[in-house]
Amino acid sequence: MLIQQLINGLTLGAIYSLIALGYTLVYGILTMINFAHSEVLMLGSFMALGLAVALPSIFGGGPIGLVGMFVLSMAGAGIINVVIERFAYRPLRHISRLAPLISAIGVSIILQNGVFIWVSTQSLRFPEPVAIDQVNVMGATISTLQIIILAAALLLMAILHFFVEHTKLGKAMRACSDDIQTAGLMGINPDYIIALTFFVGGALGGAAGVLYGMNYGSIKYNLGFLPGAKAFTAAVLGGIGNIRGAVLGGFILGFLEVLASGYIPNGAQWRDVIAFSVLIIVLLVRPSGILGEKLAEKV
Amino acid sequence: MIFRRAAVLAAFAAFAILFTACGPKEKVVKIAVAVPLTGDMGTEGQGLRRAVELAVEEANAAKRFPFKLVAAPYDDRADPKEAVNVANLIVSDARVVAVVGHYNSGCATPAAKVYARAPIAMVSPAATNPEVTAQQNSKDWMGPRMVFRVVPTDDVQGSYAALFAAKKLGKKRMALLHDKSPYGQGLAEEFKKGFLAQGGKIVSEDGISVGDKDFKALLTKLKSDSAKPEGVYFGGLYTEAGLLLKQMRELGLKDPFAFISGDGSMTFGLFDVAGDAADGAYLSIVGVPADELPSAAKFVEAYKARFPSDERKPFDHFGYEAANIIMAAMERAGGPDREKVIAELKKTKHDGVLGTTVFDDKGDTTSKIVTMTRAVSKKRAFDTVR
Repeated sequence: MLIQQLINGLTLGAIYSLIALGYTLVYGILTMINFAHSEVLMLGSFMALGLAVALPSIFGGGPIGLVGMFVLSMAGAGIINVVIERFAYRPLRHISRLAPLISAIGVSIILQNGVFIWVSTQSLRFPEPVAIDQVNVMGATISTLQIIILAAALLLMAILHFFVEHTKLGKAMRACSDDIQTAGLMGINPDYIIALTFFVGGALGGAAGVLYGMNYGSIKYNLGFLPGAKAFTAAVLGGIGNIRGAVLGGFILGFLEVLASGYIPNGAQWRDVIAFSVLIIVLLVRPSGILGEKLAEKV
Repeated sequence: MIFRRAAVLAAFAAFAILFTACGPKEKVVKIAVAVPLTGDMGTEGQGLRRAVELAVEEANAAKRFPFKLVAAPYDDRADPKEAVNVANLIVSDARVVAVVGHYNSGCATPAAKVYARAPIAMVSPAATNPEVTAQQNSKDWMGPRMVFRVVPTDDVQGSYAALFAAKKLGKKRMALLHDKSPYGQGLAEEFKKGFLAQGGKIVSEDGISVGDKDFKALLTKLKSDSAKPEGVYFGGLYTEAGLLLKQMRELGLKDPFAFISGDGSMTFGLFDVAGDAADGAYLSIVGVPADELPSAAKFVEAYKARFPSDERKPFDHFGYEAANIIMAAMERAGGPDREKVIAELKKTKHDGVLGTTVFDDKGDTTSKIVTMTRAVSKKRAFDTVR
């Protein structure tokens, strides 16, 4: 049972981590919480469904369709995030720290209601892109779906790591995250790097949306809210602004939820209470999160 | 100054003339349909709205009343707070004579309190928690008894499912799940009572949250429970039921491990959420499905003719019957008088699609039939288990 629960926790944690990365990347550069991120996630899953419905022969089945569905939905979600940044955040960036935050909440409401009004008010069935099988490993039942989710999430995290640590653009991103003004003086175009960050964060959110749809088999206009809130928590838990922290926080939250509902009597009812109590305790001990560095106030 | 005042007066006069000219030439009386029209339960509400519309249109075509009757839909979004808002709106519209609604027990219970103060009759086509009508007999009930319902209640449904699990399926140990709503928890508790009375054992009880998606951890716990449950009874609605089924199958909890649930899960949306995983789920429904009721054959046909592109939902014939019972009461009352309609509803002895409906002193139908069905995903259908 423990192995089974750990696998459940890993899949849940992988999805949380991917979403948390989107929050943390944006926060790292702009110290702004992109509240519309949960809607980017939702739009990612709707785009994947749209692809599967529009071109079932390509995206309805098979590994090539699956990869194509991922890449296109990620690109779409990334572009949406860039557009949001360009029109809702950039004009407000220099006014105050609060203005883009409110703008983000507004964008979130607009996107959610847009899907509610124009797409569907109800749960829509999300197709299974590949046939799902169960594999028995040491008494645990693992579905191929869980393997796909884990593999996809880990692959994306590895790509992100490579991008941030070993490419020139990644270096520019890190420079902007350290000090955006100085980076600008060194010949980096901050607007461009910010847009790029939003694209990467949005793409990861889109990927999480596709995984989310696949995992639960149905999607709805408000699906982003709950995982969005939890992933944001995970990002804070790991130390917001820190990429490794977001991944760690996501997995910790996933495990906490699974262990709470799996091992505590009537734990399913108390799952969120337990998970968030642990969060509060961790933050009391380490206010900047597990891996968060204590930064001097930015001037 | 004087000139300006004259101009304002003239404008007012013009408006007044305009409005009277536009005013209704024929008298309109409304039957409110207060159900969820959007959200996950929206599909069920839309079905009920269509059923009431059909009943009203038939009455208008037959010229049963000297005025035009319309079905006025109100969206309670399956949300108790919204249900109270909607109830206040309905009560303040003098043209509304009675209410068909609400769908969810959690909505019907608080909304009924608003209707009682008016008072205006409420006939529920779907809310099955006993409290919906039972609350009228409490001491602090403000108003006359005006809640009626045409569906049997959860105490009947829950104990029937318990009997079915123990006798028909031969289960001795069951796990209990519910969604913590008045409907879901109430149903699960009735099942528990019945199952214990049958000599069975409830090995665990867990509540889940509406809107939750991940039940894998909980189901893993059930699967490896040392008490070895032979099935699970779930009190709740189809979104959660569908996710539970899907994740159960993914964890390898398949037949003969039984999944039994109630009428809230028995709708076509279950197939959208669970897909093939819905196969084999046992779902009870109060009353008899319309397709198997000889008395409903005419309704089934008329519905198909009027709404050819829409799926008929499991509660639609109850909605249709509720509207017809209200209209019959209005006929006997001699017009759209709210209080007289309430008085006449109490004397109801209606022969319609559900057979003969008579209300007991709580306002519940005296018919206590429950049907057990089994989901077949390929046909998108629920086959009756005999």
